[in-house]
Order: sequence, then C-alpha cells, then structure tokens
Amino acid sequence: MTPLFAVSGVRFAYAGQPPCLDGISFEVPVGERLALVGANGSGKSTLLHLLDGLYAPSEGSVAYLGTALSQRALSSAPFGPRFRQQVGFLFQNSDAQLFCPTVEEELAFGPLQMGWGADEVARRIEEALALLEIGRLRGRAPAALSAGEKKRVALASLLVLAPSVLLLDEPTAGLDPRSQSLLLEILEALHARGLTLVTATHDLTLLPHLADRVIVLSEEHRVVADGEAGPVLADTDLLLAVNLIHAHSHRHGRLVHSHPHRHVVAHDHGHDSVAGGEEPPEG
Amino acid sequence: MTALPEWLRLDAMPPGTPPRAPAGNRALARTLSAIGRALAPLVCDAGSPRVGPIEDADPRAKLVAAAGLIVVATLLHGLPALAACLALALGIAAFAGVPARRLAPVAAVALASALVVLPATLNVVSGGAPFLTVWRPARGTLGPWRLPEAVAVTREGLLVAGRIVLRAAACAALAAVLAATTRPHRLLGGLRALGLPQGFVMVLAMTERYLAVLLQAARELHLARLARTVSALGVRREEAWVAAGVGAVFRRSRALAEEVALAMAARGFVGEVRLLRPARWRGRDWALAAGAVAAAAALLLIDRGAP
Repeated sequence: MTPLFAVSGVRFAYAGQPPCLDGISFEVPVGERLALVGANGSGKSTLLHLLDGLYAPSEGSVAYLGTALSQRALSSAPFGPRFRQQVGFLFQNSDAQLFCPTVEEELAFGPLQMGWGADEVARRIEEALALLEIGRLRGRAPAALSAGEKKRVALASLLVLAPSVLLLDEPTAGLDPRSQSLLLEILEALHARGLTLVTATHDLTLLPHLADRVIVLSEEHRVVADGEAGPVLADTDLLLAVNLIHAHSHRHGRLVHSHPHRHVVAHDHGHDSVAGGEEPPEG
Repeated sequence: MTALPEWLRLDAMPPGTPPRAPAGNRALARTLSAIGRALAPLVCDAGSPRVGPIEDADPRAKLVAAAGLIVVATLLHGLPALAACLALALGIAAFAGVPARRLAPVAAVALASALVVLPATLNVVSGGAPFLTVWRPARGTLGPWRLPEAVAVTREGLLVAGRIVLRAAACAALAAVLAATTRPHRLLGGLRALGLPQGFVMVLAMTERYLAVLLQAARELHLARLARTVSALGVRREEAWVAAGVGAVFRRSRALAEEVALAMAARGFVGEVRLLRPARWRGRDWALAAGAVAAAAALLLIDRGAP
C-alpha cells in the first residue's frame, strides 16, 4: 500500500546555514499517529514544513501518496489544491497562522481559496465554531484573543477544510492545562475518525495522547530511533543522549547520587495531576 | 549537583559602588503608549460594536462618495461653500453616529493649518487693506526688514487663511467620517474592488493586521530592558538602545512575514484573496452615491454665487 508520506534521504539547510536535517528517511502510513521528538533545534519543525511542501529538500525527496512534493506538483491541479485541502498544518506561532481580520473570515479563508460555494463554507464554519466551542469569538479580531483561543481558532481554520492529515508543530505550547486538555481530546477524536496526525514536540508527557509511533531526532539532525512509542520512551539512554531528559541529582543525608529524570502528567477522570515519575536510582 | 559560583550566594555583596538611581526617562514608554493610542482605532477588536446607518453601506460607494466630495472641497473658493462643505461632513458624522473623539483629528488639522497660514494674514507678509491693527512699531525697521507704519491683519489675508483652514478641515472631516464608518479590512476590500493592485492592498491589509502584534513586541522589548535598567544610561546609549530595538522589531516582523506567507500557502493561497462576503452594490449604495453627487453639485453652485 502506498504510504501517505514517504521521506527518502532528505537533507535540508537554510540559506547560509549548516544542515538542519541530514539523511532523513521514513514512511508514514495512512491513519497513523506519529510524533517527531527531539531537543530544540533538532529539525522537527523544519521536517513538518517539508512534509507540507512549504520547503523543498536540498537533497532527497518527500512524496505524498506517491507524488513527489515539488513546486511544479503543488502548483498544478488537481494535485496542488487537493494536497492543500487534505493536509492541514498547525503552526507553533498562532499569530502567523491567523492573518484575517476576524475569526469568521479566518475560518472561511481556506474553503474560499478552494473555490467552495458560499452555503457550504457557511455551514462548515458554523460546525467548526461549534466543535471548537468558539462561536462567541466569530466576529472578534484574532489579535485580541488569548493564546488558547488563538490555538483553537487556528485548528478550526484547518478542520473546515476536512483534512485527512494534520501536521502539528508543538500544538500545546503555551496553553493552560484546560486548553491543553481540550485540544488533546479533539485530536484524539479526530484520530478516531481516521485522521493521520504528525506532531512535532519535545514534550514527552504529551506522547501517550498524541502518538503510537515515535521518531527521535538527534541534535546532529539525524533519525536515531523510530519505533512504537512505549519502547522508545522507555529507552532512558537514548533519551538522555538526545537531551530529551536530563540527569538529576538527589541527596539522601550525606549520600549524593544522580539518575535520569522526567516528569509525567497523569490524566485521570478529568483530574489533572502532576507527579514526579523517576527511574530507579543508579548509584 | 550543579556547582554554583561563589558570587551566586544570597549573602554575597555585589562588587563596586552601588549604582545611581534608576533613570527617570520615560520618553520611550510615553512614545509607545501614544503610538498605541493613535493606532487603537486601526487595531481595535473587530468585535466591538459599531452602530450607524452608513456602516453597512458598500465600501466602494463610501470611497467614491468621500473621494468625490474631497475633490470638490479642493475646488471650492468661497468661504460660504467651504463652510457648507465642512457642515455637510460634520452632519454626515452626526447622522452616522460617529463618536466625537473620532473627529478630534479634524480639530488638530484645522489648528495646524491655522498656525501655518497665520503669518499670511498680516500686511507684513502679504498686501491688503488693514482690518485690525496689532502693533505700531516705534521704529520703521526690524533688523534688516522695513516695517509698515502699523502691522495689521488684512481682510485679504483673513480670507486666504479662512479658505485654507476650512478646506483642510472639510477634507479631514470627510476622511474621518469614512475611516470611522468603515472597518479597515472592508475599506481595503473596497479599494481592491475599485481596481487597486492586489499586492498593494495585501501589504496594507497585513500591515493593519499585524500592527498590534509588532507594537506589543516593541512594548515587551522596552519592558524587558526596563526590568534590567538600574541607572541612567545617558542620551547616546539610550539612542543606541532605541536603534537596536527598532532593528529587533524589524527582524521579528520579517520573520513573522515569512511565517505568514507560509501559513497562507499551506491553506491554498495562490495569489488572490477571496472574501467571505464580497461587497454587493445595493439600492442604498446607489442612494449614497447619488446623494454625494447632489451635494457636490450644490456646493459648486453655492461657490459660484459666493464672493
């Protein structure tokens, strides 16, 4: 079966900069929940931009359902418009994503670019506003919204296009716990509907909610692990090596020892709790 | 356990003498605040309620009407016609429910133009029959200049000054009414519908959309710097800091512009923005345009009969 995305030998560098992705290869099957994890600067966001065809790789190729994402393919019909309708990209910076004067026009932007009829656009706007519980924001200016509201509007502006893939760049960054929880619930519901989710994050606490498979990027911008979320997250040496967790010192009386440390967020029947989940001490 | 340097102890004394008192210079804060207030009508939340019968008119009709009346105002010469034009603009503002504070710029424009033309009212600048004597110089010269027997305001000078002030105020009032009754994005949509190039309108639209974001960035830079300021820096270093701040905001705006372009492309933008509610020319818009034409004709008629 043709994979949704096929990334093959991708290398990418911004103009005048050293490579920020080096020899990246993987495939994303339809319906998967994949997380790209890595420390700051490891190239996660850049990889999402490449998957959305916004950047072209310096070497290698990125293909969507068997078609290479090139400038020519993306600017030709029917592939270009269909790709833009099917693949939604949630930017980390909501201010960059919300460029229209009102929330309602923000939601209408994508469908109108697709040339859909006014009635269909209006119906979808209503339903997306209701789904994200942002109906009261309809006439507001995006610049005047809170971070959580902006993120919900940004997600709604993607969902009105009925995408089959969502590329999410640090989707919960800067959100309060309630907004985070709502966003995760929506993403889980979307995945249950069959959407493919590709999330870039360095927040390991989110992974149980966002991913079945994890690709770990090193600070050398290469893939160092690719597998099911559980075993990858249990590999403490790997996570230490890529700076996703850190060695943490403890003092017991006069005895000082050091061991890896991570935080785990538990969601239990609507009650959020924060606990320190620690690996057994090494020394 | 991380070893902290010795000087990071809570009881460690800072080296050197204590700094002078913090700078009292708040010029930059005041400037940013003033810019924020000036831009408030532009960057205000579009959800804020606005009322008035002209608000819903097609922006093209309002643009054509306002531009036409402004052109006519520049053609008028008689004071009664110019006064009628100003009264018409203020009457439209009252009819449209424009708050008085939105008309404050009209007074500012009138005052500024009055200050500029004030010397032209005196017989030492332009000739004419004295109307009101303001000064009788003891000697007939002032430095290298020869003075008349009496420095006086002339009738001709007053006429010219009144014409300029009324014309400026009328034009400013018409523009203020247009701005106050049309949200910026609708105004830009109207300009686009009237044939302005897409690129030009897009740049204006993005500027309007992101002014608030960039102003906030400038404020945050200023506050971050205030939080670390312990003594007066001196004018040169203040200037250097302001220049660096402008550069930082510029870099942020450039990065933001690149991100916005990518976000637009990601949602299928290929060159022409399609609007959710394209402007439609209705009966009331015809009435507005016809009213503007009638008003322009009336003003020109008044002007022909005026001195």
